Amino acid sequence: MKPKVAFFDFTGCEGCQLNKLNFENELLDLLAHVDLVEFREAMDETSDEYDITFVEGSISSPSCVERIHDIRRRSKILVALGACAVNGGINAMKNIQPIEQVRETVYGQDKYRFATLPAMPISAIVAVDYEVRGCPMSQPDFLQLFKALVMGKTPPTYNYAVCVECKLEENECLLTKGQICLGPVTRAGCQAICPGVGQACIGCRGFVEGMNREAMVEILTEKGLSVDEAVKRLQLFNAYEVAV
Amino acid sequence: MKHLHDITLPAERGLYLPTMCKIVEAKELTKLEKWYRVELPGGQDLGHTPGQFVEVSVLGVGEAPISVSSSPTRQGSFELCIRKVGMLTSVLRTLDTGDTIGIRGPFGHGFNVNEFRGKDVLIVGGGIGIVPLRSLIHYILDRRAEFGRLIILYGTKSPAELLYREELAEWTARDDVEFHVTVDHGNADWTGNVGVITTLIPALQLDLPNTIAAVTGPPVMYKFVLMALKSKRLPDEQVFVSLERRMKCGVGKCGHCQINGKYCCQDGPVFRYTDIKPLEEAL
Amino acid sequence: MECYHLAQKAVPDLLEHLKKIAPVYAPHQKGEKSYSFERVTHASEVVLDYNRTMLSLKKFFLPPTERLLQYSIQKQNVVEEEIKPEKRIFFGVHSYDMQAVLRLDHNMIEGHPEPNYILRRQDAIFIGISFEPDDYHFSRSVGIRVEEMEGFDLFLNKVDTNYYLFILNKEGSDLLKGFQKLKAVKDIVRFERNFKNKLKYHYNRIPEVFQHVYHSEVWQKVAERCVGCGTCNLMCPTCYCFDVMDDVALDVKSGERRRQWDGCMLTPFAEVAGGENFRDKYEQRTRHRVYRKFKYITDQEGVPWCVGCGRCTAFCPAGISLTDIVNNLIQDYENQQYAKTGVVA
Repeated sequence: MKPKVAFFDFTGCEGCQLNKLNFENELLDLLAHVDLVEFREAMDETSDEYDITFVEGSISSPSCVERIHDIRRRSKILVALGACAVNGGINAMKNIQPIEQVRETVYGQDKYRFATLPAMPISAIVAVDYEVRGCPMSQPDFLQLFKALVMGKTPPTYNYAVCVECKLEENECLLTKGQICLGPVTRAGCQAICPGVGQACIGCRGFVEGMNREAMVEILTEKGLSVDEAVKRLQLFNAYEVAV
Repeated sequence: MKHLHDITLPAERGLYLPTMCKIVEAKELTKLEKWYRVELPGGQDLGHTPGQFVEVSVLGVGEAPISVSSSPTRQGSFELCIRKVGMLTSVLRTLDTGDTIGIRGPFGHGFNVNEFRGKDVLIVGGGIGIVPLRSLIHYILDRRAEFGRLIILYGTKSPAELLYREELAEWTARDDVEFHVTVDHGNADWTGNVGVITTLIPALQLDLPNTIAAVTGPPVMYKFVLMALKSKRLPDEQVFVSLERRMKCGVGKCGHCQINGKYCCQDGPVFRYTDIKPLEEAL
Repeated sequence: MECYHLAQKAVPDLLEHLKKIAPVYAPHQKGEKSYSFERVTHASEVVLDYNRTMLSLKKFFLPPTERLLQYSIQKQNVVEEEIKPEKRIFFGVHSYDMQAVLRLDHNMIEGHPEPNYILRRQDAIFIGISFEPDDYHFSRSVGIRVEEMEGFDLFLNKVDTNYYLFILNKEGSDLLKGFQKLKAVKDIVRFERNFKNKLKYHYNRIPEVFQHVYHSEVWQKVAERCVGCGTCNLMCPTCYCFDVMDDVALDVKSGERRRQWDGCMLTPFAEVAGGENFRDKYEQRTRHRVYRKFKYITDQEGVPWCVGCGRCTAFCPAGISLTDIVNNLIQDYENQQYAKTGVVA
């Protein structure tokens, strides 16, 4: 029997879901392996239990917490999809500002009508089995995970830096050119897509395990940033992990 | 330094090419371990020595180093016992009689049985450390007259983790095997020894100049077993250990299994204790 | 050894001449400030005065990623990747990179000869060129002169604005058959090139230093600055570690086994399936890398496995210098010796 697959989204831009629909060449082959039972961007159908659930977006309100618990209960395998779901993503920048100010900026005088929480990755609330990182989630990475799950094997976790993938491609190093690049501490798996076209890495895939944060801040201050600015750079997608 | 002109060209191919083999028998031994009997094409012999390993492949999944658990004295097929710990072994767990796996090897240095011959042999196996040691045990049992005493110490965390139970019963019953087993934590049905494996060592009566020890177990075990053997005054050069590392290629190229300057897949996995004692990364 | 004058303006003609014999690979500008070895299409694009390419010639013989096997999961059959030996000319190679190839040869031949490497490497032709040492080169300190010609078939040594062209063997002289623009040199003028970057000791003494600095504080100090990105491994011309992975097609019926460069500075490198990591700290990994370059293989083969190209330092995002590490270890060693004997080592 084909595994039943569902997609859900939380706080995020839904760009990861759109990115999946962009698998023009592979989409039909992918669908041949699974029964898609819930996918808001693409269809409307519900099923009670799922073999593989993909969750996009971060947790940012009490209602999110309730919903993710429910989804977890109904899912055999739960996969966090994209930077918001895996690391908290851009949303987590709200965590480093006073929460009252955030509510006021967003909702104005209606702020008391909307309960809010600091933005969190899915793994802060429930157990997450696997992750597809990136903003938006990286397509080759998603394909690797998908094939692995179909075959019953563990997907790769890429616990090494984007620098590795730059070197494999012999890309010119942007740091040695004086740019601010987070490649040395950001998790690989994106095939260094940004540095490959001359754009510095901004850390959307989260950091390698046990990142030497002090050393990375030191590297960035050597390039002319203040410590404060350096930390902010690290926080862009990772404010949940990199508190002040 | 070796140069290109030192070898005959073209170089022989097939270094990374697995031979596809049939699983002819499979059995779950515990919740984690599964036992397989594997046949090479045409029933040819693997040609290994006890303690050597093979690289086991599942196409589409990957490859991992696995100790051979049968003795070369038993020909026609060989045996593996695989614990489900990683990606490849999880998939292996689902394979059964009639399925195909890829085999490369055997690789590395096993136990030098010639050095064991004529001596008393002390086997110390912790957890799945018994798997490579079983190859040596069977070798000795099959040529029993060529060896002195055979003392086997075997320990696991709990009774449920004991492997090869039928054989353990056989070893217990035999007069020419001194078999002692212990578990870290017993249960209601367990009437045997309780305690870590080192607790079995002090009571041993060893003919020191004439004893060779083979020790294999989880990384934490070695230090304590070696200390216990030292306090029995067994000379270090009479102790052999088999080490686990990430032997990805098996042929001394990929670098993952390096222990300081040595390659576990080439110089080991079985080492004389005195050869690795100076290596800080070994134990 | 024959030696001829080669005018700088005749180099493009030489390249055109060589291209007729076999594909030629030479340094090209890559990006704004970097260089890489690329196949020559236009001789005018070749850069002769370069400091170092990002990757060494290793990438041609042991590619960053390569397919080892192709298989059908359905039929359970496997075939090896076909590799055809190919005559290729590597032009404008610095002596340290040639020495790195000779060291890789050793690693790839020793024990189980590595067929993929050997097939790609066996028909290679090397044409060397001299270089002006910059702030990072220190090959002289590891016993490799700028003009070291071992391994080359031809060598171009720059004198003012032109070159001495040395013919080093029969392959070299065959390459020049039909090339008319050479004039014999009567008196070879020799001169020394200065290296600003140096190791404090002759390389013969370095294994002795490494005997005593395994527990040096230097490792911890380096670890404080290191982010573990692996750049030093991947760019090192004598590093050859790799990982192996399987990749299946979308239909899950067929697949391939690939290998990809790996590095001992990366966190998961020494991790086994059960989760135990035998080198889980930055300082352990740095120490292992440096011992691989100056001690472990050196004890066996008598030469440093570092060739002094300076890549690991020039490209380190944290600015960690390998010569600083080794010189600090030497300092540490001297302090230990002084404390023990009262004599300055």
